[in-house]
Amino acid sequence: MTDGTATGTPYAEDVEVIRVSTGEYAIAQYPQVLMTLALGSCVGVALWDPGLRRGGLAHVMLPTPSDGGRTGSLMRFASEVIPEMAGALVQHTSGRRLVAKIAGGAAMFRGDSRLAGVGDRNLEEVRKQLLLLRIPILAEDTGGSHARTVELHLDTGVMVVRSYKFGIKEL
Amino acid sequence: MRPEELSDLQLDAIRELGSVGVGHAATALSQILGHFVGISVPEARIVAVSDVPSMYGGAETLVAAVYTRILGDIEGGILFMMPRDAVLGLVDLLRSRPPGSTKTLGNEEEAIAVHAATLLISAYVAAMGRMADVNVLPSSPAFAYDMMGAVLEVVTSEIGMKADTAILVTARFMEEDAAVDAALFYLPDPDSLDVVLGKMGVA
Repeated sequence: MTDGTATGTPYAEDVEVIRVSTGEYAIAQYPQVLMTLALGSCVGVALWDPGLRRGGLAHVMLPTPSDGGRTGSLMRFASEVIPEMAGALVQHTSGRRLVAKIAGGAAMFRGDSRLAGVGDRNLEEVRKQLLLLRIPILAEDTGGSHARTVELHLDTGVMVVRSYKFGIKEL
Repeated sequence: MRPEELSDLQLDAIRELGSVGVGHAATALSQILGHFVGISVPEARIVAVSDVPSMYGGAETLVAAVYTRILGDIEGGILFMMPRDAVLGLVDLLRSRPPGSTKTLGNEEEAIAVHAATLLISAYVAAMGRMADVNVLPSSPAFAYDMMGAVLEVVTSEIGMKADTAILVTARFMEEDAAVDAALFYLPDPDSLDVVLGKMGVA
Protein backbone atom coordinates (compact mmCIF):
# COMPACT_ATOMS: atom_id res chain seq x y z
CA MET A 1 0.00 0.00 0.00
CA THR A 2 1.32 3.45 -0.88
CA ASP A 3 1.37 6.35 1.53
CA GLY A 4 -0.77 8.40 -0.81
CA THR A 5 1.81 11.13 -1.30
CA ALA A 6 2.24 10.70 -5.04
CA THR A 7 1.16 13.86 -6.78
CA GLY A 8 0.95 12.81 -10.43
CA THR A 9 -1.20 9.78 -9.76
CA PRO A 10 -3.41 10.49 -6.76
CA TYR A 11 -3.48 6.89 -5.58
CA ALA A 12 -2.15 3.46 -6.57
CA GLU A 13 -4.34 0.95 -8.33
CA ASP A 14 -4.73 -1.23 -5.26
CA VAL A 15 -6.41 1.59 -3.32
CA GLU A 16 -10.06 0.88 -2.78
CA VAL A 17 -12.27 3.62 -4.22
CA ILE A 18 -15.74 3.78 -2.73
CA ARG A 19 -18.33 5.20 -5.14
CA VAL A 20 -21.14 7.20 -3.61
CA SER A 21 -24.30 7.06 -5.75
CA THR A 22 -26.59 10.01 -6.37
CA GLY A 23 -28.71 10.68 -3.31
CA GLU A 24 -26.64 8.51 -0.95
CA TYR A 25 -23.67 8.76 1.42
CA ALA A 26 -20.78 6.55 2.52
CA ILE A 27 -18.24 6.47 5.35
CA ALA A 28 -14.68 5.28 4.76
CA GLN A 29 -11.32 4.90 6.46
CA TYR A 30 -7.85 5.67 5.01
CA PRO A 31 -6.46 4.22 2.69
CA GLN A 32 -9.88 4.02 1.10
CA VAL A 33 -10.85 6.93 -1.17
CA LEU A 34 -14.40 8.26 -1.43
CA MET A 35 -15.68 9.40 -4.81
CA THR A 36 -18.89 10.66 -6.36
CA LEU A 37 -19.45 11.32 -10.05
CA ALA A 38 -21.02 14.12 -12.04
CA LEU A 39 -22.41 16.59 -9.52
CA GLY A 40 -24.57 19.15 -11.32
CA SER A 41 -27.05 21.02 -9.16
CA CYS A 42 -26.30 18.37 -6.52
CA VAL A 43 -23.75 19.10 -3.80
CA GLY A 44 -20.94 16.82 -2.68
CA VAL A 45 -20.54 17.21 1.09
CA ALA A 46 -17.32 15.79 2.56
CA LEU A 47 -16.84 15.45 6.32
CA TRP A 48 -13.35 14.56 7.56
CA ASP A 49 -11.95 13.49 10.91
CA PRO A 50 -8.21 14.37 10.75
CA GLY A 51 -7.37 12.40 13.89
CA LEU A 52 -8.83 9.10 12.73
CA ARG A 53 -8.26 9.70 9.00
CA ARG A 54 -11.88 8.77 8.54
CA GLY A 55 -14.53 10.61 6.62
CA GLY A 56 -17.85 10.62 4.84
CA LEU A 57 -19.08 11.85 1.48
CA ALA A 58 -22.71 12.61 0.59
CA HIS A 59 -24.23 13.31 -2.84
CA VAL A 60 -27.03 15.72 -1.89
CA MET A 61 -29.82 16.09 -4.47
CA LEU A 62 -32.38 18.39 -2.84
CA PRO A 63 -32.59 20.66 0.23
CA THR A 64 -35.39 19.12 2.32
CA PRO A 65 -38.15 16.47 1.99
CA SER A 66 -40.68 19.25 1.31
CA ASP A 67 -38.85 19.88 -1.98
CA GLY A 68 -40.38 16.81 -3.50
CA GLY A 69 -40.51 13.09 -3.16
CA ARG A 70 -43.05 10.86 -1.53
CA THR A 71 -41.00 7.77 -2.21
CA GLY A 72 -37.31 6.92 -2.24
CA SER A 73 -34.41 7.41 0.13
CA LEU A 74 -34.36 10.31 2.58
CA MET A 75 -30.59 10.38 2.15
CA ARG A 76 -30.94 12.53 -0.96
CA PHE A 77 -31.96 15.53 1.16
CA ALA A 78 -29.38 17.83 2.76
CA SER A 79 -31.49 18.23 5.91
CA GLU A 80 -31.51 14.46 6.46
CA VAL A 81 -28.19 13.12 5.22
CA ILE A 82 -25.85 15.67 6.84
CA PRO A 83 -26.95 15.06 10.47
CA GLU A 84 -27.06 11.31 9.79
CA MET A 85 -23.56 11.21 8.29
CA ALA A 86 -22.10 13.41 11.03
CA GLY A 87 -23.76 11.17 13.63
CA ALA A 88 -22.23 8.06 12.06
CA LEU A 89 -18.77 9.66 12.11
CA VAL A 90 -18.81 10.92 15.69
CA GLN A 91 -19.81 7.56 17.18
CA HIS A 92 -16.10 6.89 17.67
CA THR A 93 -14.84 10.33 18.49
CA SER A 94 -15.67 13.89 19.42
CA GLY A 95 -17.80 15.81 16.95
CA ARG A 96 -15.67 18.91 17.35
CA ARG A 97 -12.93 17.43 15.23
CA LEU A 98 -15.00 17.17 12.07
CA VAL A 99 -14.32 19.58 9.21
CA ALA A 100 -16.22 19.96 5.93
CA LYS A 101 -15.46 20.67 2.30
CA ILE A 102 -18.19 21.09 -0.29
CA ALA A 103 -18.43 21.16 -4.10
CA GLY A 104 -21.22 21.40 -6.66
CA GLY A 105 -24.47 23.34 -6.69
CA ALA A 106 -24.10 24.45 -10.29
CA ALA A 107 -26.75 25.78 -12.66
CA MET A 108 -26.36 23.27 -15.49
CA PHE A 109 -28.98 24.55 -17.92
CA ARG A 110 -28.74 27.98 -19.46
CA GLY A 111 -32.03 29.67 -20.24
CA ASP A 112 -34.27 28.32 -17.49
CA SER A 113 -34.40 30.28 -14.25
CA ARG A 114 -36.38 27.68 -12.32
CA LEU A 115 -33.89 24.93 -13.13
CA ALA A 116 -31.03 27.24 -12.25
CA GLY A 117 -32.34 27.72 -8.70
CA VAL A 118 -31.94 24.12 -7.50
CA GLY A 119 -28.17 24.34 -7.03
CA ASP A 120 -28.39 27.55 -4.99
CA ARG A 121 -31.10 26.16 -2.73
CA ASN A 122 -29.05 23.00 -2.17
CA LEU A 123 -26.01 25.06 -1.16
CA GLU A 124 -28.06 27.19 1.20
CA GLU A 125 -29.45 24.14 3.03
CA VAL A 126 -26.03 22.41 3.15
CA ARG A 127 -24.46 25.51 4.76
CA LYS A 128 -27.34 25.77 7.22
CA GLN A 129 -27.03 22.12 8.29
CA LEU A 130 -23.25 22.37 8.74
CA LEU A 131 -23.68 25.55 10.77
CA LEU A 132 -26.25 23.84 13.04
CA LEU A 133 -23.75 21.04 13.65
CA ARG A 134 -20.93 23.56 14.14
CA ILE A 135 -18.81 21.90 11.47
CA PRO A 136 -16.60 24.50 9.74
CA ILE A 137 -16.40 24.59 5.93
CA LEU A 138 -12.66 24.70 5.20
CA ALA A 139 -12.95 24.99 1.43
CA GLU A 140 -15.50 24.93 -1.35
CA ASP A 141 -15.81 24.91 -5.13
CA THR A 142 -19.43 25.75 -5.75
CA GLY A 143 -21.80 27.44 -8.19
CA GLY A 144 -20.95 28.14 -11.81
CA SER A 145 -22.49 26.19 -14.66
CA HIS A 146 -20.32 23.07 -14.89
CA ALA A 147 -20.45 19.50 -13.66
CA ARG A 148 -17.94 18.19 -11.10
CA THR A 149 -16.63 14.81 -10.00
CA VAL A 150 -15.11 14.79 -6.51
CA GLU A 151 -12.83 12.53 -4.47
CA LEU A 152 -12.05 12.74 -0.76
CA HIS A 153 -8.59 11.55 0.32
CA LEU A 154 -8.73 10.53 3.93
CA ASP A 155 -5.05 10.90 4.91
CA THR A 156 -4.80 14.57 3.92
CA GLY A 157 -8.45 15.60 3.81
CA VAL A 158 -7.82 16.88 0.28
CA MET A 159 -10.91 17.07 -1.91
CA VAL A 160 -10.06 16.62 -5.58
CA VAL A 161 -12.53 18.27 -7.96
CA ARG A 162 -12.52 17.36 -11.65
CA SER A 163 -14.49 19.06 -14.43
CA TYR A 164 -14.41 19.34 -18.22
CA LYS A 165 -14.22 23.11 -17.89
CA PHE A 166 -11.38 23.57 -15.38
CA GLY A 167 -9.59 20.22 -15.24
CA ILE A 168 -8.31 19.09 -11.83
CA LYS A 169 -8.49 21.27 -8.71
CA GLU A 170 -7.48 20.42 -5.15
CA LEU A 171 -9.35 21.83 -2.18
CA MET B 1 -49.96 6.08 -13.39
CA ARG B 2 -46.19 5.85 -13.31
CA PRO B 3 -44.21 5.04 -16.48
CA GLU B 4 -43.13 1.61 -15.20
CA GLU B 5 -46.79 0.54 -14.99
CA LEU B 6 -47.42 1.06 -18.71
CA SER B 7 -48.65 -1.91 -20.74
CA ASP B 8 -47.24 -2.75 -24.17
CA LEU B 9 -50.34 -1.31 -25.80
CA GLN B 10 -49.94 1.97 -23.90
CA LEU B 11 -46.26 2.13 -24.72
CA ASP B 12 -47.16 1.62 -28.37
CA ALA B 13 -49.49 4.61 -28.15
CA ILE B 14 -46.62 6.72 -26.73
CA ARG B 15 -44.36 5.54 -29.56
CA GLU B 16 -47.07 6.47 -32.05
CA LEU B 17 -47.12 9.97 -30.56
CA GLY B 18 -43.41 10.06 -31.22
CA SER B 19 -43.78 8.90 -34.83
CA VAL B 20 -46.36 11.54 -35.64
CA GLY B 21 -44.32 14.21 -33.87
CA VAL B 22 -41.02 13.45 -35.58
CA GLY B 23 -42.73 13.26 -38.97
CA HIS B 24 -43.68 16.91 -38.63
CA ALA B 25 -40.27 17.82 -37.21
CA ALA B 26 -38.58 16.19 -40.23
CA THR B 27 -40.73 18.21 -42.64
CA ALA B 28 -39.87 21.41 -40.76
CA LEU B 29 -36.16 20.64 -40.70
CA SER B 30 -36.11 19.80 -44.41
CA GLN B 31 -37.81 23.13 -45.14
CA ILE B 32 -35.27 25.09 -43.12
CA LEU B 33 -32.23 23.27 -44.45
CA GLY B 34 -33.32 23.02 -48.07
CA HIS B 35 -32.46 19.35 -48.27
CA PHE B 36 -34.16 16.15 -47.20
CA VAL B 37 -33.85 15.05 -43.58
CA GLY B 38 -35.88 12.10 -42.33
CA ILE B 39 -36.56 11.18 -38.72
CA SER B 40 -37.94 7.85 -37.57
CA VAL B 41 -38.78 6.41 -34.15
CA PRO B 42 -37.29 2.92 -33.99
CA GLU B 43 -38.33 2.38 -30.39
CA ALA B 44 -39.97 3.65 -27.23
CA ARG B 45 -39.32 1.98 -23.91
CA ILE B 46 -39.34 2.54 -20.17
CA VAL B 47 -36.03 3.25 -18.45
CA ALA B 48 -35.07 4.00 -14.85
CA VAL B 49 -33.28 7.35 -14.89
CA SER B 50 -30.55 5.84 -12.69
CA ASP B 51 -29.83 3.22 -15.40
CA VAL B 52 -29.37 5.79 -18.17
CA PRO B 53 -25.66 6.62 -17.54
CA SER B 54 -24.63 2.96 -17.91
CA MET B 55 -26.34 2.89 -21.33
CA TYR B 56 -24.00 5.63 -22.59
CA GLY B 57 -20.64 4.84 -21.01
CA GLY B 58 -21.01 6.30 -17.52
CA ALA B 59 -22.06 9.39 -15.60
CA GLU B 60 -19.06 11.42 -16.82
CA THR B 61 -19.84 10.98 -20.53
CA LEU B 62 -19.88 14.37 -22.26
CA VAL B 63 -23.36 15.04 -23.66
CA ALA B 64 -25.30 17.84 -25.29
CA ALA B 65 -28.76 18.23 -23.78
CA VAL B 66 -31.83 20.37 -24.34
CA TYR B 67 -34.54 20.42 -21.69
CA THR B 68 -38.05 21.73 -22.10
CA ARG B 69 -40.89 21.71 -19.63
CA ILE B 70 -44.39 20.80 -20.78
CA LEU B 71 -46.87 23.46 -19.71
CA GLY B 72 -50.66 23.58 -19.89
CA ASP B 73 -53.28 20.92 -19.16
CA ILE B 74 -50.63 18.33 -18.47
CA GLU B 75 -47.19 18.62 -16.87
CA GLY B 76 -43.83 17.01 -17.30
CA GLY B 77 -40.56 17.51 -19.09
CA ILE B 78 -38.77 16.39 -22.21
CA LEU B 79 -35.01 15.97 -22.32
CA PHE B 80 -33.20 15.68 -25.65
CA MET B 81 -29.76 14.15 -25.14
CA MET B 82 -26.88 13.06 -27.36
CA PRO B 83 -23.31 12.05 -26.51
CA ARG B 84 -20.63 14.37 -27.95
CA ASP B 85 -19.75 12.23 -31.00
CA ALA B 86 -23.40 11.76 -31.90
CA VAL B 87 -24.19 15.46 -31.73
CA LEU B 88 -21.18 16.26 -33.95
CA GLY B 89 -22.58 13.66 -36.37
CA LEU B 90 -25.98 15.34 -36.23
CA VAL B 91 -24.44 18.71 -37.09
CA ASP B 92 -22.67 17.08 -40.09
CA LEU B 93 -25.94 15.51 -41.19
CA LEU B 94 -27.89 18.75 -40.90
CA ARG B 95 -25.20 20.66 -42.80
CA SER B 96 -25.02 17.93 -45.48
CA ARG B 97 -21.33 17.34 -44.84
CA PRO B 98 -19.52 14.00 -44.72
CA PRO B 99 -19.57 12.37 -41.25
CA GLY B 100 -16.53 13.47 -39.24
CA SER B 101 -16.36 17.01 -40.71
CA THR B 102 -17.48 18.75 -37.53
CA LYS B 103 -14.79 18.46 -34.83
CA THR B 104 -15.95 20.77 -32.06
CA LEU B 105 -19.20 22.08 -30.69
CA GLY B 106 -18.84 25.85 -30.97
CA ASN B 107 -21.57 28.48 -30.83
CA GLU B 108 -22.70 27.89 -34.40
CA GLU B 109 -22.81 24.10 -34.02
CA GLU B 110 -24.61 24.46 -30.70
CA ALA B 111 -27.24 26.67 -32.32
CA ILE B 112 -27.86 24.11 -35.09
CA ALA B 113 -28.18 21.22 -32.62
CA VAL B 114 -30.45 23.20 -30.28
CA HIS B 115 -32.62 24.24 -33.21
CA ALA B 116 -33.09 20.63 -34.32
CA ALA B 117 -33.74 19.48 -30.75
CA THR B 118 -36.27 22.25 -30.17
CA LEU B 119 -38.15 21.42 -33.37
CA LEU B 120 -38.27 17.77 -32.38
CA ILE B 121 -39.51 18.50 -28.86
CA SER B 122 -42.08 21.05 -30.05
CA ALA B 123 -43.40 18.62 -32.65
CA TYR B 124 -43.67 15.87 -30.03
CA VAL B 125 -45.56 18.16 -27.65
CA ALA B 126 -47.83 19.33 -30.47
CA ALA B 127 -48.61 15.74 -31.44
CA MET B 128 -49.41 14.94 -27.82
CA GLY B 129 -51.75 17.90 -27.63
CA ARG B 130 -53.58 16.94 -30.80
CA MET B 131 -53.85 13.19 -30.23
CA ALA B 132 -54.79 13.49 -26.57
CA ASP B 133 -56.86 16.65 -27.12
CA VAL B 134 -55.15 18.68 -24.41
CA ASN B 135 -53.72 22.19 -24.39
CA VAL B 136 -49.96 21.93 -24.12
CA LEU B 137 -47.05 24.21 -24.90
CA PRO B 138 -43.31 23.65 -24.55
CA SER B 139 -41.35 26.12 -22.41
CA SER B 140 -38.34 27.78 -24.02
CA PRO B 141 -35.48 25.30 -24.32
CA ALA B 142 -32.56 25.21 -21.88
CA PHE B 143 -29.19 23.95 -23.10
CA ALA B 144 -26.33 22.14 -21.34
CA TYR B 145 -23.11 20.52 -22.60
CA ASP B 146 -21.41 18.59 -19.81
CA MET B 147 -21.37 15.32 -17.83
CA MET B 148 -24.47 13.20 -18.40
CA GLY B 149 -24.98 12.42 -14.72
CA ALA B 150 -25.14 16.13 -13.89
CA VAL B 151 -27.60 16.81 -16.71
CA LEU B 152 -29.91 14.01 -15.60
CA GLU B 153 -29.86 14.95 -11.93
CA VAL B 154 -30.96 18.50 -12.58
CA VAL B 155 -33.92 17.21 -14.53
CA THR B 156 -34.94 14.58 -11.98
CA SER B 157 -34.53 17.08 -9.13
CA GLU B 158 -36.82 19.49 -10.90
CA ILE B 159 -39.49 16.89 -11.44
CA GLY B 160 -39.04 16.22 -7.73
CA MET B 161 -38.32 12.52 -8.13
CA LYS B 162 -41.91 11.94 -9.13
CA ALA B 163 -40.37 10.81 -12.40
CA ASP B 164 -37.55 8.47 -11.46
CA THR B 165 -38.55 6.51 -14.53
CA ALA B 166 -38.76 7.99 -18.00
CA ILE B 167 -40.10 6.99 -21.39
CA LEU B 168 -37.14 6.81 -23.76
CA VAL B 169 -38.12 7.60 -27.34
CA THR B 170 -35.25 7.07 -29.78
CA ALA B 171 -35.30 9.53 -32.69
CA ARG B 172 -33.19 8.55 -35.70
CA PHE B 173 -32.13 11.42 -37.98
CA MET B 174 -31.46 10.20 -41.52
CA GLU B 175 -30.04 11.65 -44.69
CA GLU B 176 -29.07 9.82 -47.88
CA ASP B 177 -25.91 8.27 -46.50
CA ALA B 178 -25.90 8.95 -42.78
CA ALA B 179 -28.01 8.23 -39.70
CA VAL B 180 -27.61 9.33 -36.11
CA ASP B 181 -29.70 8.56 -33.02
CA ALA B 182 -30.87 11.04 -30.40
CA ALA B 183 -32.48 10.13 -27.10
CA LEU B 184 -35.70 11.87 -26.18
CA PHE B 185 -36.66 11.27 -22.56
CA TYR B 186 -40.28 12.01 -21.79
CA LEU B 187 -40.60 12.55 -18.02
CA PRO B 188 -44.34 12.66 -17.35
CA ASP B 189 -46.02 13.77 -14.22
CA PRO B 190 -47.92 10.56 -13.17
CA ASP B 191 -51.35 12.26 -13.18
CA SER B 192 -50.68 13.74 -16.59
CA LEU B 193 -49.80 10.34 -18.01
CA ASP B 194 -53.28 9.09 -16.99
CA VAL B 195 -54.88 12.02 -18.78
CA VAL B 196 -52.93 11.48 -21.99
CA LEU B 197 -53.60 7.72 -22.09
CA GLY B 198 -57.26 8.18 -21.19
CA LYS B 199 -57.82 10.68 -23.98
CA MET B 200 -56.05 8.37 -26.43
CA GLY B 201 -58.41 5.55 -25.40
CA VAL B 202 -55.77 3.26 -23.90
CA ALA B 203 -56.13 4.07 -20.19
